[in-house]
Amino acid sequence: MNPQLAGIESLAGTYVFDLARSAKALVLNRFLHGLIALANRTLFRDDPEAAFACAGLSEEERVLVRNLDWRGLIRYGASFFTLEKLARVRGVSNPEMVAAMRGETLEEFLKTRNVPGAR
Amino acid sequence: MARIIGGIGTSHVPTIGVAYDRNKRDDPDWAPLFKGYEPVARWLAKRKPDVLVFFYNDHATTFFFDHYPTFALGVSAQHPIADEGLGPRPVPALKGHPALARHMVEALITEEFDLSVFQDLPLDHGCHSPLTMFWPPAPDWPGAVVPIAINVLQHPLPTPLRCYKLGQAVRRAVESYPEDLKVVVVGTGGLSHQMNGERAGFNNTEWDMKFLDLIERDPATLTAMKHADYMRLGGTEGAEVIMWLAMRGALSNGAKKIHQNYYLPMTAAMAVALFEETGPQPEQEDPV
Repeated sequence: MNPQLAGIESLAGTYVFDLARSAKALVLNRFLHGLIALANRTLFRDDPEAAFACAGLSEEERVLVRNLDWRGLIRYGASFFTLEKLARVRGVSNPEMVAAMRGETLEEFLKTRNVPGAR
Repeated sequence: MARIIGGIGTSHVPTIGVAYDRNKRDDPDWAPLFKGYEPVARWLAKRKPDVLVFFYNDHATTFFFDHYPTFALGVSAQHPIADEGLGPRPVPALKGHPALARHMVEALITEEFDLSVFQDLPLDHGCHSPLTMFWPPAPDWPGAVVPIAINVLQHPLPTPLRCYKLGQAVRRAVESYPEDLKVVVVGTGGLSHQMNGERAGFNNTEWDMKFLDLIERDPATLTAMKHADYMRLGGTEGAEVIMWLAMRGALSNGAKKIHQNYYLPMTAAMAVALFEETGPQPEQEDPV
């Protein structure tokens, strides 16, 4: 147990990216990270199923990515920062991702913000 | 001899760089952010540092979890702008300072800070999203950057105290460099935000204000806290403010905060704080 994280389990709705999560989702995170390369983005746009096969994603991982299931992807073990690459490629903004993780629509989420136009 | 003349703590939210690239200076939703950086830009234009040493983090862009360094220092003459999914930002490659950077690596490893060293790798928004606000390219960058990446993504992270000690070692490394260089240290990240799970969107302005106070006058209170404390108070991703502790550790105890700005428009609290060394500074000019 990492003593720096003692008590962290009491924070509800929080998924700390540690070595166990990183190991579980390494293949998925590698695929997402790969989207920083134009060739990978092109393949993913043109033929997502071929991109999934090329990356060796499991069926469970493919479903999560196909559906842009942000909450499910985080729970599974994706890093938020590799998910950002997927979001950029799919034209999804960070406020939309955060709203989905909270179980809210974008409009509901923006009502909780100080400057809803700043995005 | 090289010397550290001041420090900057700043958020590195990607939208800070986007707002600059899209020139949203006069957009009322973004104007408070631009205004908050103006005193920092003026101070840098007046004091003209040669080098900014940047404590920042990579966002699983240049480094992936197959080999994610705890501390890594860039020693090349140029650092390209990273493609994070939309192509690189339209700003020039950052200029490095290989001679100072190599000296710093030697000095740090001699005192048992066994960090990784990288060359030719691109830097992501963790470094340059705030940089354009206070040190804009016109058309090229005003000086060089020595980037020091800190792992704040994959736990275990370096402890808050270790980050502070890294800053102290960086100060000794800079001050033992023989050439007369003016150096400013920058720590990026924060303030409060959480980007994962049902708790995403969490902020805590009260804690952010306390942090901005403690970082100046009582960093020991901050180095005694655990990552779990930072995550509870400032959100999981807000814990990256430990990179400000590296910046603070590279300043003297008596460094004074001469400006700060705080703006929380959306998901992440955007702050900037400017610190100035108050010791003997032969060419010190009026404060901003």
